[in-house]
Amino acid sequence: MVYKPIKSLIKVVLSGVKRLELLAFLTTCVTVIILSPAMLFAGDNGPCIECHTKPDKLKVTEKAKIDPVTGEIKVSPMLIDEAAFKASAHGGEDFFCVDCHQDLDGKDVTEGHKPNLKPVDCITFCHDDPAEEYLQSTHVKLMRENNKDVPTCKDCHAGLSYHYTPIGEKSPRDVPRGTDPLHRKLTIDACGSCHRDYLNSYKNNAHGQVATLGHTTTDVPVCFDCHGKHKILNSSDPESKVGKERIIETCGNCHANANASFIRHVEHPQIKNIKYYRTLLAAIKNARSDPGNLKKAIKNPQTILCIVFVMYVGILAFTFSAFGLHSLLSWFAVVRDEYRRKEHGDDEQH
Amino acid sequence: MTSNTNYIRFRLFHRFCHFLIIISFFGLVLTGMPLAFRGYGWARWLYELFGGYPTAGYIHRVCALITFFAAFIHFIYLFYSISVQKKKGFFWGPNSLLIQPRDVFDIIGDIKWFMGIGKRPNFDCWIYWEKFEYLSLMWGTLVMALTGLILWFPVQFTKIIPVSVADIIDLPSIALIIHRYEAILAAGFIFTIHFFHTHLLPEKMPVDEAIFTGRITEEEFKHERLNQYKRLEHQRQLDNYKIAPPSLFVSFLTRLFAVPILITGLIMVGLMFSALLVWAI
Repeated sequence: MVYKPIKSLIKVVLSGVKRLELLAFLTTCVTVIILSPAMLFAGDNGPCIECHTKPDKLKVTEKAKIDPVTGEIKVSPMLIDEAAFKASAHGGEDFFCVDCHQDLDGKDVTEGHKPNLKPVDCITFCHDDPAEEYLQSTHVKLMRENNKDVPTCKDCHAGLSYHYTPIGEKSPRDVPRGTDPLHRKLTIDACGSCHRDYLNSYKNNAHGQVATLGHTTTDVPVCFDCHGKHKILNSSDPESKVGKERIIETCGNCHANANASFIRHVEHPQIKNIKYYRTLLAAIKNARSDPGNLKKAIKNPQTILCIVFVMYVGILAFTFSAFGLHSLLSWFAVVRDEYRRKEHGDDEQH
Repeated sequence: MTSNTNYIRFRLFHRFCHFLIIISFFGLVLTGMPLAFRGYGWARWLYELFGGYPTAGYIHRVCALITFFAAFIHFIYLFYSISVQKKKGFFWGPNSLLIQPRDVFDIIGDIKWFMGIGKRPNFDCWIYWEKFEYLSLMWGTLVMALTGLILWFPVQFTKIIPVSVADIIDLPSIALIIHRYEAILAAGFIFTIHFFHTHLLPEKMPVDEAIFTGRITEEEFKHERLNQYKRLEHQRQLDNYKIAPPSLFVSFLTRLFAVPILITGLIMVGLMFSALLVWAI
């Protein structure tokens, strides 16, 4: 990750040169460094951790926050679990609290700080690439062209920084890493909350059935492994990760030597989607007026899958009802014979 | 009245094959069924019990290899018996496991018996539903092996079909659907029909030991397969089949092994059926 805050500092310095204020700037810096004890810890989480791990040192231990997506009021604890923070995507060696909470950068916090910090700006200095990619995605295209209500940053990311650590909820401070299985699992639900049919059909395929059982390590593909993360493009777009030109590469990430036949695989089988059966029936009904549509339906690989599925449902129903009846009847007949033999035996004795 | 005479019904080779099939079948069902019933809590629990992903998958493949081995030695046995030993009666006659004309009469006779308008028909070496089970095991193994291999090596299998065909026929997806529902068919069939027709009959409860000890008593022989008994008597071969009764220890071992297996199977089919009910309601 590029360490953007440093860059911005350099920019400030350079602009200072232009305005011939370099001397004044350097003097200020030196003064601040000498005078401020907090600056001695610059690039150190020490002063923050000093209070934010000890409830008795905090004036406020909990704060109410409004969820940007649902509008719910959530209580967010101000205590930090250092271990969980270190394990998170932002817990790297050279990453500090003030990198996000920039309004405290360089401030002396030994006596506390103002209660409401500025909302953290994730995009401007650090995550500008994904934002740019997102702006090229089909989601944004739909928003611009059709005024569709599409997910923006926080629809996914606020929901996805859920915390399964003891610190609290919905704060990016311990946002899980991209490879984290729980994080990966939550992305399936996030995509599926809108793309419900695709989620259901995903659960019916070989990848999704393992994910549904709760295994979402990087060996099991979730939505974004195939469709991309920010620059999600419709599969009809050649540039899409699942588009004609890139799909061999996408499948090949896991399946070495993926070939042209292999990538014809149907990832979202419609075998349990009643809507697909309706379109099939409609195509058969209108076979005379629109034979092209029927031909298209027959050539669709989904059709064979549906036929095989329906066939097996039939085989299952027939086998179990026929043999189940056979079992019941033979049980009944054996018991009946036994009963008759006993009665007969009793008659003989009398 | 009870005589102590026992007859051999299953030779060691067949008992061994049945044992291999039990081990591999249960391994396959217990690691595979959670995937078919992935939405249910018990499926998740069972999958974790076998190590989850990817361990359960490895167990599944090892068990598949055991099944392949059992099928392989079975066909070697058939080949050896037919072409080297020149044994007869594999394809036709009372000892054949293939469908014969008399099976049709047996089915009609059985239906009459069920309805109370006839006596229980007398059977020969193999009863029609035993033949059906054997043949469906053969067919099922073939289908499961083929689709399983496609799922195991999807890239290699799709390589052999041209792209124009792959556009319409998606081999791995078809294999997955067939593999899943054929598995439900096979597991459901074994755990209900096979169990209730063979082991859990009122007269056999809890287990038909013949496939484990290889022996049946004279009474059982006459009751279940009177035609075979008479035929062997007529051919004066009955003495060749006589054998000492199983020792108490072997009988005990059989029960110790078979009863937990039967219970496991019944629990599995109960869970599978409950899933159907949940889905239906």
